[in-house]
Amino acid sequence: MATELEELIGFLSSPSPQITKVAVDIVRGLTGSDDGLQSLTKYAKTVLPSLSRLLAGPKEVSEPSAEALVNLSQNSNLAAEMVQLGMIKTAMEVLYKPECTIACLLVMLLVNLTQLDAGSASLLQTDDDKMHGLYVMKLVRSFCRTTHESHDDPFEHVGSILVNISKQQAGRKLLLDPKRGLLKQIIRQFDSNSSLRRKGVFGTLHNCCFEAESQLQNLLLISEFLWPALLLPVAGPKLYSEQDTSKMPLELGTALSIEREPVTDAEIRVQALEAIYLIVLQEAGRRAFWSVNGPRIIQVGYEDEQDPKVMEAYEQLGSLLIQSGGTEEPSSESTNQ
Amino acid sequence: MALWMEKDSEPLTESEKADLDAIAALKESAAIELKEKGNQYVKMGKKHYSDAIDCYTRAINQKVLSDSENSVLFANRAHVNLMLGNYRRALTDAEEAIKLCPSNIKAFYRAAKASLSLNLLAKAQSHCRNGLQLDPNNEELKKLGQQIDLKKAEQDKHEAEVSKAVAEAKELVLAIENRGLKIGKAMFRELTGLKKPVLDKNNILHWPVLLLYAEVMSSDFIEDFCETDMFSVHLDMMFADDQPLPWDDKSNYKREFIELYYEAGSGVCLSRAKLLHSLLEGTAASQQESAGDEEKDAVHGSNHVNTGAPKWVKVNERSTLHDVLKDPNFIIPGIPVFYVVSKRSSFYGKFKAGKWTPPSI
Repeated sequence: MATELEELIGFLSSPSPQITKVAVDIVRGLTGSDDGLQSLTKYAKTVLPSLSRLLAGPKEVSEPSAEALVNLSQNSNLAAEMVQLGMIKTAMEVLYKPECTIACLLVMLLVNLTQLDAGSASLLQTDDDKMHGLYVMKLVRSFCRTTHESHDDPFEHVGSILVNISKQQAGRKLLLDPKRGLLKQIIRQFDSNSSLRRKGVFGTLHNCCFEAESQLQNLLLISEFLWPALLLPVAGPKLYSEQDTSKMPLELGTALSIEREPVTDAEIRVQALEAIYLIVLQEAGRRAFWSVNGPRIIQVGYEDEQDPKVMEAYEQLGSLLIQSGGTEEPSSESTNQ
Repeated sequence: MALWMEKDSEPLTESEKADLDAIAALKESAAIELKEKGNQYVKMGKKHYSDAIDCYTRAINQKVLSDSENSVLFANRAHVNLMLGNYRRALTDAEEAIKLCPSNIKAFYRAAKASLSLNLLAKAQSHCRNGLQLDPNNEELKKLGQQIDLKKAEQDKHEAEVSKAVAEAKELVLAIENRGLKIGKAMFRELTGLKKPVLDKNNILHWPVLLLYAEVMSSDFIEDFCETDMFSVHLDMMFADDQPLPWDDKSNYKREFIELYYEAGSGVCLSRAKLLHSLLEGTAASQQESAGDEEKDAVHGSNHVNTGAPKWVKVNERSTLHDVLKDPNFIIPGIPVFYVVSKRSSFYGKFKAGKWTPPSI
């Protein structure tokens, strides 16, 4: 005897579009409540594939289906099931069909799914030699091409996906790969007006710096984008003197000699400082940091910092800089000929 | 008559058997006589060595002696070949002697000696060890063994140096490719010598950089310019107030007046194999042919012969060396070369108008 719920789920696969529409609306409603979620979990094996199929349908069914899946994916067991069913692939395929109307929901679904290691691995396509990294490249391109300017910013959440995949080494390697230039593109969004985008950029950058030990060159060689992104948020509100800025690369120096908006998100400031810390742990990173007059910026920025967590991060970085030696001038000998 | 008997003919009669025995005995004493004669020839000195070899060979070819007697013959022939410098033949002879009589100590010694002379060190070590197993107190073998071990250690050390040099050069090539840098043929070799870029332990490149004062064709060198360093820092140090240039009597080349330029779009980019080869120059591995590397001829980089005025690109002092080097139009001539001019000097106008070209060397 099929229960009501089983019947309902069965209707999701009905040949009649009116029936599926009603069914999926009801299912979506159920996923909005804890009880509903509980009941549906029991039928994961049938409801998930059915919803997945509806994603490819017209908006009237794909939208509620996507919403339902987003809700369901907040449960990690269900998320794991979805990843196993190949939901990442399905989502990416539907996302990049021309005229996709549920882009934002699909991106949110991917955010939830990539919270799991298996989800990240699936998005990274680590098993696929030929296509490896293709999904991520597409998402990064979408993230960087669209901005918050348009009213709906469907790819706004991609930053969070990148934070998730950068928790895995394979993800960091992909993002740091100089041939693909993904990190370079992502960093450029650091001063976006969307706080969600900014959070995504800094979270990703922070995670990538954990590869500083083995891939320092891939971080330092994009230094013209890296240093402004990391240093502007922690430079404090003051205008810097000519004496200070003359020792910095042109863009950084110019940015610090004019009025600027403070970065109010304390978490971003902490992440920036921690990322710098990881770079400065490496000898060449230290040298590069000194050569852009970084320590001076940290010193000045600290003066106006009031958030205790951020202050702690400044202090940690400061003591590392002191420990690892004073002014590190590059030692070059010149021979006059 | 016994001599003409066919092989598979009737069983032998008593007298036929006696004939065969007599022939065998003849052969045997002939062989022994030949061996003695050979030994005598050896004693008679160098001029008779080939005669000795001849005797031993004929003795062996009688094919009547026992294995251990033949082993002695082969070992003796090996000895003479060694003295004649025929190391290859000496080795085969000695090894044959060992095969025929695995307790022939002299054979082991001679095999080891011949292998050593042929630089087959592993084989030499092996023969020596086998010999010492038979006679652990053999002084000659022990001494020879020490000699071989010494040579092998040297050879191993050299091979390790070569591998290391090749590995390091390959890493450099990879680092250069990953950065999209273009390296062309080295210029001004008499000024730069064999200086090369170096990768530090964080995989950051350090370059030796040549500064040429175009006006007077004098030069300066920056030994270690890290790719993440800014130009201004190095220039501040080199053009500090208290270090005037000796030839700069008009004081034109002070810090605030100098500008740096590089030449864009000239020269041909080296292929990967050629780049590897040039990086190996002056190292232990300079004789290596980069075998096995794909000859990927550079598709980019203009095959552009310098007709017309050189194109000068000004260096922004507040950029890093890497920022400048990665300009796709900059074909680095071996190591980076920058031309220093002074805004205050009368030479400046001529330089900027493209009326000065670097001397072609």
